[in-house]
Amino acid sequence: MRKEYDAIIIGAGHNGLTLGAYLARSGLDVVVLERRHEEGGGLCTEELTREGFLHNVHANYHTFVDLAPPVADLDVRGHGVEYVRPEVQMASIYDDGTALLIYDDLDRTCESMSRFSAEDAETFRRLYTEAHGFVDLLLGTLMYRPPMSVKELTRALATFGVEDKTEFLSVKLRRESINEFLDQHFTDPRIKAHLAFHGAICGYTNDVSGLAIGYPLLVGKIDNWHLCVGGSHRLAHALWRDLAQHGGTMISDAEVSRIVVDDGRAVGVRLSSGEELTARKLVASTVDVEQTLLEFVEPSEIPAELHSKVSNEIQHKDWTLFSVHLAMAEAPQYEAAAFEPDVDRAWVVNLGYGSLDDLNDDWRTVRGGGLPVPRPNAAVNSLYDPTDAPEGCYTGLLRQFAPFSLAGSGPGGWEGIGRHYGERCIEAWRRFAPNMNDDAIIDWVPFTPLEISQKMKNMVRGDWMMGEITLDNMLDERPLRELGQYRTPIEGLYLAGSTQHPHGFITFGPAYNALQEIAADLDIDPWWQNI
Amino acid sequence: MPANSYDAIVIGAGHNGLCLAAYLQRAGLSTAVFERRHEEGGGINTEEPLLPGYRFNLHAQYMEFFDIMPMITDFGLEDLGLRTVMPEAQAGIAFADGRPPIVLHRPDLIDRSHASIARYSKRDADMYVELKQRAAMLEPVLASGLYSIPSVSEPGTQELMLETVFGDLGITGNFALKSPTNVIDELFESPEMRALLYRTTVEWGYPIDEAGTGAVFLSFIFWTLANWKLCLGGTHTLAKAMTQACYREGVDLIENTAVESVVVEDGRAVGVEVRGGRTVRAERLVASNADLRQTLLDLVGRDHLSPQWVRRAENYRYGPSHVLGTPMFCLHDPPAYTSARWDPEIDRCFYTMVGFDGPEDTLRYIRDAFMGRLPAPAAGTWVNSLWDRAQAPAGRHAATGWYFFPPASALSAQEWEEVRATYNDRFLANWAAAAPNMTADNVIAHRLYTPDQMERKNLMREGDFSNGEFALDQLGANRPFPEASNYRTEVEGLYLCGPSSFPGGGAHAACGYNAFKAVAEDLALPSPTVPERGY
Amino acid sequence: MADVYTPDWYAAVRTAINDAVSDLADLPDGDWMVKVEIVGDGTSPYVAEGDERHFLIRIDEGRCDWYREVDGDEEGVRLNYRFRGSASTFDGIADSLVDPIDAALSGEIKVKGDMRLLMRHARHVAVLLEAYAQGVDTTWPEGRPPYEGGD
Repeated sequence: MRKEYDAIIIGAGHNGLTLGAYLARSGLDVVVLERRHEEGGGLCTEELTREGFLHNVHANYHTFVDLAPPVADLDVRGHGVEYVRPEVQMASIYDDGTALLIYDDLDRTCESMSRFSAEDAETFRRLYTEAHGFVDLLLGTLMYRPPMSVKELTRALATFGVEDKTEFLSVKLRRESINEFLDQHFTDPRIKAHLAFHGAICGYTNDVSGLAIGYPLLVGKIDNWHLCVGGSHRLAHALWRDLAQHGGTMISDAEVSRIVVDDGRAVGVRLSSGEELTARKLVASTVDVEQTLLEFVEPSEIPAELHSKVSNEIQHKDWTLFSVHLAMAEAPQYEAAAFEPDVDRAWVVNLGYGSLDDLNDDWRTVRGGGLPVPRPNAAVNSLYDPTDAPEGCYTGLLRQFAPFSLAGSGPGGWEGIGRHYGERCIEAWRRFAPNMNDDAIIDWVPFTPLEISQKMKNMVRGDWMMGEITLDNMLDERPLRELGQYRTPIEGLYLAGSTQHPHGFITFGPAYNALQEIAADLDIDPWWQNI
Repeated sequence: MPANSYDAIVIGAGHNGLCLAAYLQRAGLSTAVFERRHEEGGGINTEEPLLPGYRFNLHAQYMEFFDIMPMITDFGLEDLGLRTVMPEAQAGIAFADGRPPIVLHRPDLIDRSHASIARYSKRDADMYVELKQRAAMLEPVLASGLYSIPSVSEPGTQELMLETVFGDLGITGNFALKSPTNVIDELFESPEMRALLYRTTVEWGYPIDEAGTGAVFLSFIFWTLANWKLCLGGTHTLAKAMTQACYREGVDLIENTAVESVVVEDGRAVGVEVRGGRTVRAERLVASNADLRQTLLDLVGRDHLSPQWVRRAENYRYGPSHVLGTPMFCLHDPPAYTSARWDPEIDRCFYTMVGFDGPEDTLRYIRDAFMGRLPAPAAGTWVNSLWDRAQAPAGRHAATGWYFFPPASALSAQEWEEVRATYNDRFLANWAAAAPNMTADNVIAHRLYTPDQMERKNLMREGDFSNGEFALDQLGANRPFPEASNYRTEVEGLYLCGPSSFPGGGAHAACGYNAFKAVAEDLALPSPTVPERGY
Repeated sequence: MADVYTPDWYAAVRTAINDAVSDLADLPDGDWMVKVEIVGDGTSPYVAEGDERHFLIRIDEGRCDWYREVDGDEEGVRLNYRFRGSASTFDGIADSLVDPIDAALSGEIKVKGDMRLLMRHARHVAVLLEAYAQGVDTTWPEGRPPYEGGD
């Protein structure tokens, strides 16, 4: 392996590869180092059950397609990525046998909602239309720019008089939870449950105060859910390919153990194999901030106060996901199809949350380390991507909100109960789709919160968002105010992973925003800002 | 989205396909590779299918050609992520009764190998050292043979080689006519050494009872034996480095896109039809990394072939000689062999044979598998985490192995299901006999990957690692059959670049490299041969 | 008095902007190259349907340096912002009938560029917009918004 590069990037997740590709395209000699044997981080597709069944172990939903600048800038589609935007994006099936559907078409979505409440459907149409008007502005302002503070933002909105123009941008949302927002605007408990559920699977927990401010964006892209044909890992290959085509290198199985700091400046990394690599211009870490600043650098190299904050104050999600990956001979046939036939074509289905209280109760249980009675959500990618399973078969995914640490037994408790809880999740599914029996299910495996943290070391405590989404862990305060602008106290060391604004999910945001700061510092011509 | 047309299209991103594609693109041909799976590398794969952090090589394990593989130097694969270690203790055999193991070390530590064998027989130890050293001298010849289009050798060549190189050891020309079993029995006296050598011979897929492969045994097998490297991170690192080389060159590598057929117009391959019915044109050539029957019968189709080629393809044989099952074990501790009290190196061996207490066991085992019967459990095993901490979580270990199995079609789906459910446990009982800590308590999780699964996953027919039996009529210039042995086919513009061609299965990328030589000759491209290298 | 979208009118807009910002403290550093793209929508008489009129504006240290009509994107000009919308929307803004913030929020005008900078200098931006909408005594020779049959 060559020992000297302009830029060393730690972690070949989508942020690491994205940053690497931009820098390589800017003429830098880039290496992206990955601890695992596969690049992609959360863009991880494996044949976990049987050969030919492609399971997305982490990222399954791509909701920023064509909103995130890198998709075009790095020619992701040209590198072979095919996206499908399922016609029936999402559904909720309720205990009363009804079902609510989100289509890729606003009229059809509203039609589905109006079966529950015509008034709510109209409200949704209004909010959606409003949000759509400014979703580009919002993305440009909030997602794909280094963050400003909530205060700055509020002041600007007041200056523009925006508050009076749309309730979606009202300052008071800062004090409200999604629950409160929904209670103010909607009437039907099932519609509210669905909208809250949608927020939750995007990481915006519905009962957390202040997260109502994120709701406009959530509504604006509620029907922009895309599926990556052939598994999410294909996006990783596309980004890697862009990096390599422009002279960059990705090295897997290269675990960083140290960031070499000389006179307050990051000048390279040491690998756990003992090899040492030199960085002429920068080191960027896309892994968790704890590893970056507590394990990779000597305590003396950062201020003691920051060291203590990183040790004690990083906020991780207080719930995570338990998954069941299934190889299936049949697609689910829901009883609710009697109410709404299209439910059998829904990509992602919420099974049973029928009110905000249903969700709230489970958050309470989960935060106490308890296992909720399963109400998993089910995604069958094969409905829209037949290439992800052998002919005539289906690949399924159940996801259940769950704690990382179990009351009484801690995270290790998952080792004994994964199989059992998985069975309960499947049973819960079967209540809504009776055909999901032993004949239909060829094989399945559980994937526990503990396994998330074991497989992806940077998803600390099973935190697939790499940092909680709360009002005080957002924007320039994510993950800490001192680290909120992608720079660190160590010159030449940048943070460019999902620990940073905006957050986890396949947003490309952390890398794209860190790029702006790096470009400013290194005087790189921002060719990508093709305005 | 692939373009509508390329100069060259390669079917299959196995390591041979990647190799060919990289050379083609570098030679100035716009090249696309279509891969059916979501991941490149074919048999060069490493997965994490059991518990997080435990890596398993499902097919290729040890790497013996890295010092001679042209692509590694030509494309700088070591700068693109390929890293290796060469464990000191290479091949060992441990016995259930705790008698001394035999541990073969890497070539620079051959004294240790000698000492280990000499516990049983000084004569065997001397013979081993002699044979290894002479086989090593053959490396330039063997390497240039591997990386060249095969030709039919003059009658008597093998005999002459044997007499010249090994004659003073009492090895006469007629050894060329012997089977490996005969050669081993003639040259080695100790049962322990015989048990070891029988097994290491079949690792390569050479049928040990087939007369006429004695020269292959003495040259090729002895050259590669205990000359093994471990790919850090798993063998898939090789595929990754090759993929990265392809990316660098600008190859369009398209995964998840099965080729449905090769488009033939006027007897010439002009493109492929891919999933979804789309046709992609190939202006200059199509090359197939898929196996012979799939390429000719499924993709080209009988209509475009002469009756003789159809017959040849139909009668090309897969297995039974290299059909393997791969067990995967997540372990607390690596096996601690009773026989380590004689030689602790057995606990650090790269590759350890378990369950073969004498030559009869090994022979019965191999013959059972070749005859379509499930052998009594025994295996060659690897605990790669001993040498590469990346392959298991801290403080834990990942072990894999090779079981010789009957071909996929010899057992029903139900029977394979049964094998997957029970065979590892039966093997563990034998493993514990030699290494008492290998009890169920030490095994955190395990799984068995069987030939029928391999067939479905990688389209390696019958679960044959070599994609075609290693038998004299299917080897060398006879592989896959004489008329197709120079990588060309009777369909103009269609080339073979997979392991159904010479030299066969194995992580050498020679099929791809040699196929490029054939293409280069036909299209007047610069030859990849480097004079100092000789090939 | 100046006819809309004529050189006189640009000059008037420029003056209006510079007068308006002259009282402001904390003007943004550096220069911004701003492009306004007005797309004919069959309603406004000033840009034919299917046609576009493009204006390039240079804001230097918060002041309008120059303001001119251009023919598409110009080689070598690196834009900081691009505002694009229908002619009737822009006409409406120039006549104080349409609120530019509303137009941006509803997506009628698409804004590209560094939003963060616009937010940081919200006060300045608001003054610019106001000057554009109200600072010039515009005449409308071909008719004045709101147009008949418009949205």
